[in-house]
Amino acid sequence: MGLELAPVKVQSGFLLPSIHSWPAFFTYQPNPRTFSTQREHWTTLILTYARFARIWELKVGDVDDAASGGVWGEVLHNPRLKPPRTIGRKMLQILLEQLIEEERALPDPPKQSSSVILCWRTIPEWAGILHDWAVTTGQTNTILTLFEISNPQVPSDLSGMPEPLLRRAIALLQKTGKAQVIEGADGGGVRFFP
Amino acid sequence: MGNAQSGPKITAQDRAVLDLKLQRDKVRQYQKRIQVVLDAEKRVALEALAQGRKDRALIALRRRKYQEQLLGKTDQQLETLEQLVSSVEFSLVQKDVMFGLQQGNTVLKEIHKEMSLEQVEKLMEDTAEAVAYQREIDEMLMSTMTVDEEEAVQRELAQLQAEQLRMPEVPSTVPVVPVTVGKLPEVPTTEPQEPETAREEEEPEGRVALEA
Repeated sequence: MGLELAPVKVQSGFLLPSIHSWPAFFTYQPNPRTFSTQREHWTTLILTYARFARIWELKVGDVDDAASGGVWGEVLHNPRLKPPRTIGRKMLQILLEQLIEEERALPDPPKQSSSVILCWRTIPEWAGILHDWAVTTGQTNTILTLFEISNPQVPSDLSGMPEPLLRRAIALLQKTGKAQVIEGADGGGVRFFP
Repeated sequence: MGNAQSGPKITAQDRAVLDLKLQRDKVRQYQKRIQVVLDAEKRVALEALAQGRKDRALIALRRRKYQEQLLGKTDQQLETLEQLVSSVEFSLVQKDVMFGLQQGNTVLKEIHKEMSLEQVEKLMEDTAEAVAYQREIDEMLMSTMTVDEEEAVQRELAQLQAEQLRMPEVPSTVPVVPVTVGKLPEVPTTEPQEPETAREEEEPEGRVALEA
């Protein structure tokens, strides 16, 4: 049976792994060892897809419109299966908790686990990208608003980056003395050091 | 708290720049919002036309026009804000340049202090003196070294010596010895003695000069 499974290229151009075509992948596996493998496959799939499509957020509620063309439809739902399968809410909740634990997701808003910002690059990776961007665009030693970093005039890797993630990356740079946070009356600012 | 210590202190200028930039961001966000409304109004107008409701389409288009005007106004405001931001940042750069110039100036002054004009003059005088002194030595040496004179002196000495050797003819006991002795000195006196004497004379001159 396993031989029939093959990777599927979906409309957006993303190559779904073969395991996505396996009906049991969408249902909770009671065997702890099987489940741990299943969970690992799911989290990897979620992060790679998020990176591919530059999606920053994932909510348990995304399950509801997965079958009707939601942003997460291609991953959370598989219409090619008979009957079509969608990941369960409870299952997705467990996956989000796991992602938060691995620091590959930030709860947004904080202190819950049903809505997260995905770190499809780890926070230290983002910190590196952020600092490189500031240096290569010659924006060190000047004050930048968080808004202009995530909404730059010239599109960059940081375009659309959610503020909580941006702040975490900056906090990491701050620890090594490569950034300084300035809080303004209505918004945050940051200054990078070469 | 501990983190705030890293980096330079946040000055009032920094805060002003930040506030200015935040203001600019707000205008940009506002523009985005208007753009969304603009697109929506256009859709509404098209839909109304499709349904054959011309009046509704007109209202939508009028609203759209109004929003467009707003967008134009905010564009101007944005431009002013951005100009202000860049002129503030440029003045900060200028300030840095001035600071750099100042530092360079003080360093240059310090270096100049170390090489005062008097010292340079003294140094130059000293070297001039040394040069003159060297020339003096050279001249003196040259004047004493007149080779012709020296040769003449040497020749005279040789002659005198030869005459002296001819004089003692009285002791006739050993006649062979005076002959050989008389012959021998003639060979060395002519050539090898010249440089030797010249060098001997050089040294005392040098010593005297140094003492002076």
